[in-house]
Amino acid sequence: MATDTRRDLILAAMIRVVGTKGYRETSVADVIEEAGTSRTTFYKHFEDKHECFLAAYEMLVDRVLAEVSTNCNGEQSWLERVENGLATLVKLFALDPELARTAVVEVAAAGAEARQLHWNAIARFTEFLEGGREMADGRELPENISLMSAGAVSGLIFDELLAGRAAQLPAQLPDLLFAMLVPYIGPRAAAEEMRRVADAR
Amino acid sequence: MIARSQRERLLEAAVRVVARKGYAATTVADLTKEAGISRTTFYEMFDDKEVCFLAAYDAAVEALVRRVTAAFEVEEGWPSRTRAGLEALLEALSEEPELARLALVGVAAAGPAAQRRYRAALQRLTPLFDEGRDFAPGGRSLPANTSRMAIGAVAGLISDELAENGADELPKLLSDLLFATLVPYIGPAAAAREVGETSR
Repeated sequence: MATDTRRDLILAAMIRVVGTKGYRETSVADVIEEAGTSRTTFYKHFEDKHECFLAAYEMLVDRVLAEVSTNCNGEQSWLERVENGLATLVKLFALDPELARTAVVEVAAAGAEARQLHWNAIARFTEFLEGGREMADGRELPENISLMSAGAVSGLIFDELLAGRAAQLPAQLPDLLFAMLVPYIGPRAAAEEMRRVADAR
Repeated sequence: MIARSQRERLLEAAVRVVARKGYAATTVADLTKEAGISRTTFYEMFDDKEVCFLAAYDAAVEALVRRVTAAFEVEEGWPSRTRAGLEALLEALSEEPELARLALVGVAAAGPAAQRRYRAALQRLTPLFDEGRDFAPGGRSLPANTSRMAIGAVAGLISDELAENGADELPKLLSDLLFATLVPYIGPAAAAREVGETSR
């Protein structure tokens, strides 16, 4: 339907503008201009900037996770899934720095609901990490273990994006992989995987 | 010196007001009223609300880092030192829940300069984590980013807890924080043992 297409244009525009100017500095006027649509159309679909951002963020997350699950499937080993998942993520971010900045940096500036969406996205992303528990030989691992890995990885990605280094993210893949794997398989094994990935680049 | 204590009063006031009202809603008038100073005096010290807030943020971070480092350095052996430092961190944050929430969660709403300050603040703790490189066998050949990523794990866990439940149950995070810190250096088995052994 024509109106759905315009809605998608607005959402895509929101991601681009927020990823360029930051959430705080983004106005509805900016988004409308970027989308090439009218104020009337915007307000037909959205109450305000905040509501539009939340919808845009959900669309962004679905897109990223669809890409990730394309490259990760149940037939791969746990290690392969973690590696492919991370590799997909950093490649996506490197190719689209505005999407990356919106997804990782600006979401924190958009209030409690946005933070909740971010948290949900991380939980979905790390779902396939749960296979790691089997690697731990039945040892007692903390409940929060996938959250730890997520924090480690997103912290590094955050810093790189804040410094405008989205294009360099794939170069960080070995380190990110180390951080994801180490709570499950320990530093020696994680470092081996890290070196293997680094050598393959 | 009167000028210095006025600045300190203002910085402390800034932290209280912003924690209460949020950064966007805070005005210079709010700050001068809370600090008991004149508008003129404010503008002698700071160009605007943002500069004042960043200075307040820096001062709070400085105090926190000093406290954590002091607790860390009292103990012997890196795992015990780390445990003491993390415990002091959680204690300090629990004592000022509004500030904690602002510093870790709300800071993003204060703009990119504040976000950079937050990231820089986390990096102040890097030396405490890097000691793990000497403690752990083979620690020197770990990725250079190991401490940065471990700090990220710790910050992530604390921020999540603050955003979800406030500061009431922060102290219960200690075991997980300790595990997250130790595990990249000594592995999950040793980390779990240390967490079990050093818990009192």
